[in-house]
Amino acid sequence: MGNTQVLFSQRIRKFVKNNGSVVIFLILALLASLFVKNFFALNNFLTIIKQAAIPVIACLGITLVLMTGGIDLSLGYTLGLCSITVGLFVKTVGLPIWLSIVLTLLVGLLVGLINGTLVQVVKVPAFIVTLGSGYIIFGIAQIVSSGSDVNRLPASFRAIGVTNILGLNTTVLISLVICLIMYYLLHHSTFGRALAAFGFNAKAARMSGIRSEALNILVYMICSFLVAIAAILLTIRVNCAQPTMGGGVYTFEVITGAIIGGASLFGGIGTVIGSVFGVLIIKVLENCINLLNVSYYTYQAFQGIVILLAIIFENVKNRKL
Amino acid sequence: MKGLKISKKSLLIIASVVALFFILGSLVPGFLSMRNLMNIIRQSSIIAITACAMTLVIIIKGIDLSVTGVLSFCAMVNGLLLLKGWPILLAMLVGLAVGTAMGLFNGLMVEKLGIPAFITTLVVGNVGGGLALLLNAGKSIGAFPAAYVFMGNGTILGMPVSNYIMFFFVIVTSLLMSKTRLGTYIYAMGGNETVVKQQGISTAAINYFVYGFSGFCIAMAGILLSGQLDTVHPTQGEPYQLDAIAACVIGGVSMLGGEGKVYLALVGALIIGVQRNVLNLLGIHPFYQNIFVGIIIIVIVAINIHQKRRTIEISKIF
Repeated sequence: MGNTQVLFSQRIRKFVKNNGSVVIFLILALLASLFVKNFFALNNFLTIIKQAAIPVIACLGITLVLMTGGIDLSLGYTLGLCSITVGLFVKTVGLPIWLSIVLTLLVGLLVGLINGTLVQVVKVPAFIVTLGSGYIIFGIAQIVSSGSDVNRLPASFRAIGVTNILGLNTTVLISLVICLIMYYLLHHSTFGRALAAFGFNAKAARMSGIRSEALNILVYMICSFLVAIAAILLTIRVNCAQPTMGGGVYTFEVITGAIIGGASLFGGIGTVIGSVFGVLIIKVLENCINLLNVSYYTYQAFQGIVILLAIIFENVKNRKL
Repeated sequence: MKGLKISKKSLLIIASVVALFFILGSLVPGFLSMRNLMNIIRQSSIIAITACAMTLVIIIKGIDLSVTGVLSFCAMVNGLLLLKGWPILLAMLVGLAVGTAMGLFNGLMVEKLGIPAFITTLVVGNVGGGLALLLNAGKSIGAFPAAYVFMGNGTILGMPVSNYIMFFFVIVTSLLMSKTRLGTYIYAMGGNETVVKQQGISTAAINYFVYGFSGFCIAMAGILLSGQLDTVHPTQGEPYQLDAIAACVIGGVSMLGGEGKVYLALVGALIIGVQRNVLNLLGIHPFYQNIFVGIIIIVIVAINIHQKRRTIEISKIF
């Protein structure tokens, strides 16, 4: 009897250790339901899921990058570039919708290719590459758009993100599909194992036959590709393509989500479920702050404190548990 | 041999500045006017003070990405206190203390929790940026006391007051790095942290000092900037993040740590100042300027790392 109890408590410990963000999310949701008026309502939950759907896509991208021990500070600016790209192609140039989307995704891939190549081949530290490329990308986005937005996008283009299928928004469905694909990729494929190995010890991974150069570049490409998808969906959602969409604040939010979700800053560790719940935690907090009528600026400062707590928590957890 | 190499590098950097100066002077109308030159060095003082501290941070293989937020926040704190009628010195001291505290916090995170510098400084910067917006609900403040604006805009013996402050910072930091034991330790820590620890030197103290000093300098730059513009806008620190790093990189501070001279970072700051000024005079939009600076940083760091890799084998840099 005692033995099974020990095992049970060990299993709980293991669950908490591996899925900290799920536990935090549940506690947070419980507290919010008890103390925040209007939080506990189906409509509100749907809103939270809708708001989380797009950042989750970008967050899964940055999770991969964090797993290699790198970082992508240009993420928010890539979002802006891809947003204005798709807007310009669809409305101003008037290309077919599928072609505009393909071209936008290619822009995303190109950004990732450049970032990844500079990190892996030229060996410039990731935060320097992406800090610099972020400013470059932001500049390019501003130049191609002449600093102005593209409004009122065609309805057929918007339909991709705002249609309801079986009561669920297509944006949410797309996000869900991407989560499933990423889950398979990260936890059930050789790619995921190679990535974890590379993140823990790049040298050992290379010596055991993992093509680490290609892997590292590929990871940055996947990240920017996912950001491009997020950009298209976000553009549809706000019905406006903006070069200033995203930016440093967005990068920070997405990184926060991944880190709350348990992705390690030192590489090797990261889970899809963790990152999804990491973003959900952020969105629940944002939702509560809205419901409580606190200014958005408070939220921005608050978010920083949340990420600090997450980092400290992760550190302490790895030592104690 | 090593000394010779460094002096060659310094010479190259300084020579390129002089060349740049004359080429631009002959090509860009209005560049060589006294007023414009004064403007350049006045504007460069902000970059130079930030770059001063950034040099130390990069020497110990760190980076400070909190410039934007901390600069705006400290300027905002200081500005609000000034408008409340606090004495200038006291308001400045509070602003500087806030900056130093944020820097020390970065040092604490790096030292005690071993968190990568770019993450903790990014976070602290974001908290600072949020607080700067929060303090005055996102609005700008201005119309500071005359003596305060004089600190930013006035001149003594023909030189802007800002630049006296800048030179004070550069000289003190240079002396600290070249003449004191602490400076030697800082270089040593960038070169090989394990050896420094084995010598019984406290790396904690060095981390606290370097990041704290960085916060202090950023706060000073913010205060000076608010004096120059006679305004504090909650996001006015934005351009200085990239410029400060660019100044260091152009000044030859190695991203691999252990190498860099403060006075060369000053030269780097001047180059960035000149570049912004010239492109402004030519009517080129700041977007292009940022693209330019971004490319410069990546290219110079890439070249620097490439050179180093030929001599030392580095499997994983960070």
